[in-house]
Order: sequence, then C-alpha cells, then structure tokens
Amino acid sequence: MERIALLSPVCSPHLQNYPLYIRSVPTENELKFHYTVHTSLDVVDEKISAMGKALVDQRELYLGLLYPTEDYKVYGYVTNSKVKFVMVVDSSNTALRDNEIRSMFRKLHNSYTDIMCNPFYNPGDCIHSRAFDNMVTSMMMQVC
Amino acid sequence: MSRELFVLTYGALVAQLCKDYEKDEDVNKYLDRMGYGIGIRLIEDFLARSAVRKCHSYSEIADMIAQVAFKMYLGITPSVTCINKRGNKFSLILNKNPLVDFVEELPAGRSSLCYCNLLCGVIRGALEMINLAAEVTFIQDRLKGDDVTEIGITFLRKLEDKKCKKK
Repeated sequence: MERIALLSPVCSPHLQNYPLYIRSVPTENELKFHYTVHTSLDVVDEKISAMGKALVDQRELYLGLLYPTEDYKVYGYVTNSKVKFVMVVDSSNTALRDNEIRSMFRKLHNSYTDIMCNPFYNPGDCIHSRAFDNMVTSMMMQVC
Repeated sequence: MSRELFVLTYGALVAQLCKDYEKDEDVNKYLDRMGYGIGIRLIEDFLARSAVRKCHSYSEIADMIAQVAFKMYLGITPSVTCINKRGNKFSLILNKNPLVDFVEELPAGRSSLCYCNLLCGVIRGALEMINLAAEVTFIQDRLKGDDVTEIGITFLRKLEDKKCKKK
C-alpha cells in the first residue's frame, strides 16, 4: 500500500510553529503523521541554523531528506519568509526521486504564493482554498 | 507597471472597504463611487489616446467600451450583445477578469459583495462626461457562483441635447 502524507505546517515568524494546512492520503493514522511533522520541525530548525550566517544567501529553499526512519522518509522545504513545508512519504515508495520531490515542493510554494495574494486571506490563517486542495490532491494522486 | 501590483492593490482596496463597512451594499456603493471618480477622469485619457471616431449609436458606444477601452486598460475584450428591442441595453460578458485573479471566492458573510463594482462606476462616470447617462451594474458574477461575469449597461438619455460630444 502506497502512502503519502503531505503536511504543510507553516509558521509566521512572530508566532509558534503551527500548521496552516495538513493533508494525508490515506487518512488513517493521521495523528501519527501530525506527530512526525511536529518532530521534524526541530530538524528543520537545526538545518537552518546549521547553515550559518555566511551561507544564508546561498541557502537553498529545498532542505532535502530530513531524516529517514523505518516506515517513512521526511522531506523539508523552507521559504525565505520562514514558511515551512514538510512532506512525509512511505519508505516503501522507492520510485519517488529527489527531483520529483523538489518539483512538488515548488508547486506547493507557487500555490501558497497564490493564496497569499488573495486579499481576503490573512497571513497566519488556516488555508481553506479549493484550488490548493485540488493541487495537493492531484499531486498526491500522481505519486500514490 | 506590474500587473500583480495592480491586482493586489485593487484587492487591498476591497479588503479594506470590507473591514470598514459591515454591509455589502455599502462596500458596493463606495466601490461604485470610487469608480465614478476614476471614470470622469479616465475618459479624457481614453479619448486622447484612442483617437476614436464619432459614434452614432448606443451599439457603437458599447462596442467601443468593450473592444477598445477594456482592451486598453485591462487587456481583455468582453463580448457585447444588445439585450432589448429599444437598443439601449447591452450586456458585456467578461471571459477573463484580471482583477479577480487571486480571489477564489467571496469571503463568508459577503455573498452580495460585487467585487469589481469599481468597473461599473468607471463606465458610468466616463459616459457621463460625454453627456450620456447610464446605469451600469453586474448582472452575473462568477465570484457569486454564476457561470459568467456579465456587466449590464443601460443607456438612459443624453444629458444635454445641444452640442453633444459623442465618443
């Protein structure tokens, strides 16, 4: 059984890390994914601070594989506005290559930018957008 | 100038009006009023830049609005149809509307907001400066769930008969 959990916890620089959007396919064990994402945020913060000030300009947005475990692999992506995207993929899914993950994050980032441009969306609100949902669904269907 | 900046500016304007006024009717009214202020000024720019010939009928004017003015300022060309026998009511159907590029749907509790009502005011103001009174409203709006976005222009009467300057 293929399983991808796509979770996009994002945080505003002023507030605690909290998720603006979480989605997983299939939906059982959702709590486990919430937990995984939360713990992976620490790894993200570690990676960002590990880069050091000298490399901040060259820091890539894509953080790569955060940490692998038995059951799943976790990938991270951080924008320059400190918005974090986390993707959890079943370890059994070996067909997923690095550049595919990169392009998925890019699509997420682009869709997030579109949402930010909505004049009625306040930064920090949870994301309730049909276009975003559709994009995530099609992305996850492609991979599962 | 960047199109995104323009669209975001318009969005910020509408969002601020929504914060300032609770009722949708008020927001629509102020959008129309602002549009009117723009229209009475924009018409001069339009006439100077487009060098259009004299129009001899309401239908020519409606075509001019759709094919020249909309194209010049918004980059779109709505399709025009005359919707009454008298020949003074027209409908402009907008296939694309750059102003709502980033707006997916109206926010909750704002179901009768006419997001682009500024456009109605602009058209009304511009026509008034060339001595044509008109009523301009949104007949259909994609943001409200309709299939298309449709603006209705009803020409009421010429404001003065002598020495009318037609577009």
